[in-house]
Amino acid sequence: MARRYDSSTTTFSPEGRLHQVEYAIEAINNAGTSVGILAKDGVVMASEKKITSGLLAKARTSEKTYKLCPHATCSVAGLTADANILIDQARLRAARYAYQYQEPIPLESLVEHVCNYKQAYTQYGGLRPFGVAFLFAGYDEAHGFQLYQSDPSGNYSGWKATVIGANNQAGKSLLKTEYGVSKKKDGDDEMKTEDDVPALTDAVIEMPDVAEACRLAVKVLNKTMDGAVASAEKLELFTMSLDEDGNCVHKILTEEEAKAVIAEVEAESASAGDT
Amino acid sequence: MSILAYNGAAIIGMSGKDCVGIASDNRLGIQYETVAMDFKKVFKMNDRLFVGLAGLATDVQTLDQLLRFRMNLYELREERTMSPQVFTNLLSNMLYEKRFGPYFCEPVIAGLDEKGQPHLSTMDLIGAISSAKDFVVAGTCEGNLYGM
Repeated sequence: MARRYDSSTTTFSPEGRLHQVEYAIEAINNAGTSVGILAKDGVVMASEKKITSGLLAKARTSEKTYKLCPHATCSVAGLTADANILIDQARLRAARYAYQYQEPIPLESLVEHVCNYKQAYTQYGGLRPFGVAFLFAGYDEAHGFQLYQSDPSGNYSGWKATVIGANNQAGKSLLKTEYGVSKKKDGDDEMKTEDDVPALTDAVIEMPDVAEACRLAVKVLNKTMDGAVASAEKLELFTMSLDEDGNCVHKILTEEEAKAVIAEVEAESASAGDT
Repeated sequence: MSILAYNGAAIIGMSGKDCVGIASDNRLGIQYETVAMDFKKVFKMNDRLFVGLAGLATDVQTLDQLLRFRMNLYELREERTMSPQVFTNLLSNMLYEKRFGPYFCEPVIAGLDEKGQPHLSTMDLIGAISSAKDFVVAGTCEGNLYGM
């Protein structure tokens, strides 16, 4: 059936699909979840660290979150080996742009460059696509804080909040109901369904601040990690914001800080009561 | 006039107890005419490393930009700051790469190593390193800076 059109990336199937690209996307759906949330004063990315063995040596600083340049960081879902190549590409591109123009690269340009690189592996023969999806978080002067998602096809899009990796649909549906909605409408206590939620236009959304976004991110991971409460050691919380001098601050929360956020989320859900 | 003396410079780096200092003049000239008195020749590379670049102004600026490029990538990949010794070797390598079309620039490197001990070095325009414990100099009046 589809088998004949499976093996080569450079062949469309009769239905107009690139099967290799779709299989690459499948590979990512088994990887550790990553959620990204845009806040009014920054960006938050929370990732699930898959601890495969207690014997593993402690990772240097991170296995999920990588700094690309002074104003951009990415989070990875998928094959780490593939990700390493792309991360280095991104770092080189950002550094070369800064060298040439003596100015930081606009975030979308950086994302587009990485994606064009990925796309080449879906069109020129002999090579398989990269089995990686990224969340890019960054800041530039033209558009402020931004969040982008990219997948093995080389497609990318900008988001206010999104999830990649395992159980991303569950995470996304939670974000749909909870992102930017800080007050309940008309004192309505009923559980919101997707139909109840008003259209997420800018007029309705109230962007969270970084602290609120952290809590929402932990909530999402709680849901995607099959209800197992996210513990600080399985979680990596990253925030990006500006300091007083207008420089980007990239921060991976310490275990204590992460525990504090987790505790806040637990307290919130306990006081919210049963619905 | 030698190309290395076209724009003019005087740079000196010196060590003290658990510290280093680096100083330069601010003159930019075109041969004998002074064109600016606010031309930067000493650049901070990180909290424990400064480099002073003496020579042709365009190469002073280009080398600063190139060094920043290389240092940023190093810090991203290695997740640590570059030590002065590594920086010296990197700069020497970069200069020798252009052996038959060199950057007309003679650097002075002043920094503190991981143990907080002073590190001073200089090199010629094609990357021959000289290290010293007390002071290093470079520029158009090198002899005067040495004290002759």
